[in-house]
Amino acid sequence: MQQDSILHFFLILAAISTIVFVFVFFSSWQDDTNNEGVKNALRKRFWFILILLVSLGIFASVTIPKSPYFLFADEVPSKIIHVSAMQYAFLLSEKNIDAKNPVGESIILPSNRLVEFRVTSLDVNHGFAIYNSEMQLITQTQAMPGYVNSLRYKFDKPGKYQVLCLELCGVGHPVMQSTFKVQ
Amino acid sequence: MESLNLKKITSLWIITILVLFVVAIVLGIVMRLNQGEVIKLEPLAFYTNMTTHGITMIGIWFVAGMVSVNYLMERYVKTSYSINLFAFVLTVIGVVILWTCTYIGNFSSGWTFLYPLPLKDSGSAPWATPMYLVALTILGIAWLVWSVSLMAQVLKKYSFSQLLAWQHLKSNPKVETPPFILISTVTLIGVIASLIAAVIVIVLYFAEYFSNGNFVNDALLMKNLTYFFGHTIANEMLYLGVAVIYEIFAEVSGRPKWKTTWYVALAWNCSLVFILTAFFHHLYMDFVQPEGLQIIGQLASYLASIPAVGVTVFTIILAVYRVRIKWSIVNLLFFIGVIGWVIGGLGAVIDATISNNVVLHNTLWVPAHFHTYNAMGNVLFSLAFFYWFSTQHIKILVISNQTLYTMGLLLIGGIGFLIAFYMGGADSVPRRYSTYPSGLASASYLAKIGASFAMLYLGAVLIFFYNISKRCFGILYSSPY
Repeated sequence: MQQDSILHFFLILAAISTIVFVFVFFSSWQDDTNNEGVKNALRKRFWFILILLVSLGIFASVTIPKSPYFLFADEVPSKIIHVSAMQYAFLLSEKNIDAKNPVGESIILPSNRLVEFRVTSLDVNHGFAIYNSEMQLITQTQAMPGYVNSLRYKFDKPGKYQVLCLELCGVGHPVMQSTFKVQ
Repeated sequence: MESLNLKKITSLWIITILVLFVVAIVLGIVMRLNQGEVIKLEPLAFYTNMTTHGITMIGIWFVAGMVSVNYLMERYVKTSYSINLFAFVLTVIGVVILWTCTYIGNFSSGWTFLYPLPLKDSGSAPWATPMYLVALTILGIAWLVWSVSLMAQVLKKYSFSQLLAWQHLKSNPKVETPPFILISTVTLIGVIASLIAAVIVIVLYFAEYFSNGNFVNDALLMKNLTYFFGHTIANEMLYLGVAVIYEIFAEVSGRPKWKTTWYVALAWNCSLVFILTAFFHHLYMDFVQPEGLQIIGQLASYLASIPAVGVTVFTIILAVYRVRIKWSIVNLLFFIGVIGWVIGGLGAVIDATISNNVVLHNTLWVPAHFHTYNAMGNVLFSLAFFYWFSTQHIKILVISNQTLYTMGLLLIGGIGFLIAFYMGGADSVPRRYSTYPSGLASASYLAKIGASFAMLYLGAVLIFFYNISKRCFGILYSSPY
């Protein structure tokens, strides 16, 4: 899972940073009066910043194209699901949802086909987060009153998927859930 | 030099901040115990606790930075004691009203009061939302007047371009801008900008509240304004702590004072721009936000790390690496705080990557990274200042065994508490849940671990609290003779 890779990457960077600082700290205790800091500090700083800038440039150029706004942008979705979030429920429907008389229906989606969720809110901000059957977060968008966020996704595994709210929406926030099937 | 009045008001601030800090940590532990199913709170009680914890922590560590900067600024310009006192009185009034709103009025929409939840929060008393906004207005006015007053004082001695150290970008500058003045200026500009955004949000809230349904705000605009305020003030309070490091790290280490160079001037001017535009990363999951702003959010978040790490952190490493310096509790706290800042920054940059944010946004990864650079970064910067302030005339700064044990407790407690958050984020555990769905297997177990380690952190904070506040009481009750 992407989250495991992220955690490992973070822990490695955190460990390297800690080792560097611990090494620097103990270097200041060395009983050697001839040592008075780093020589050519400006040049070393320049190289450090250059390496940092290049690394971040590579990260940005690799990750930005993978942003959800650009994924499947050129494809036509095979199914459109309208989502209206409200305190404390999600209504999902293949038809437009009337804000004055909102009604949802049970949803079954095809696997390996592009689905577009058109997500809005009828009251406050909510999150529309899709969890797979192992309860891992696979994608999300926000549900905002007055706006429709379009989230595109291809489900590659059949099964039961759960929707959780990830934006604080009131005291019922943690019980705001829904489900749909992919087959 | 610093007057006795300034020392007294600074002592009063420090004692108040530490008392509120201890209470707010207890509120945080109560939240994690509830999530761990060790205790059982009603959802409303959980969310009022959460709102109180958030607004108290943000408030106290912002004013802690301001108190430190105000005290040290007296070395360069005369600051206003009356405005410092005015800010203290209004802050106390504001906090009392906020706590009344949360604990009596059941205001529970979170410290960011994201529109339009406070207007549609069925659990709170009808008066709680307008009262909460009044309390924020009081705090906003107090802090805005304080920030503008400090800026006005430094502007009497330096021109605006000198405050931003632009003359250091050319060779042989005739006037030297001390790094402390440069960083304080950059930070105060950000603080003033964020507080103005807060005032606009509050005015828009009141406009809707009193319009009887004739005026409805735009949710996307309100979200942008709210996060411009929230993100900026949460980051600027850290930079207030960094200004203090530039001023006293070398001094307490027995080394020559740091000077402003062209790259320090350039770095902090760049920081000003990046920090004011990085807030867009809070809206990545709002796909209706223009894509250009989303990409600016990622680039600004990345670029903000370059001056911070390449200049400030590198400078601190250079100041210590193979340099015989006098270690004391003060520079040790600063040094460890910088590690917390760096590691929290790593977590933040990872989360500020849009393709990662889609699986991390509003999971426990978010409190994980901001607690890292606050609880293990900014708090340590402020504790270092508090220690230095309270002991500067006593000279008992040597590292004793008790100090080492306290630091050990703080580190073990802090690291354990944070790892439980990071693992929860990687396990897709949502943030701001009073209780967890049964399917999230690790969530309540991690909450119990987090609460246990947070108690160790609290133990260390109580020792610091005792040591610092007893000396601050001494200053508070001292006479001029």
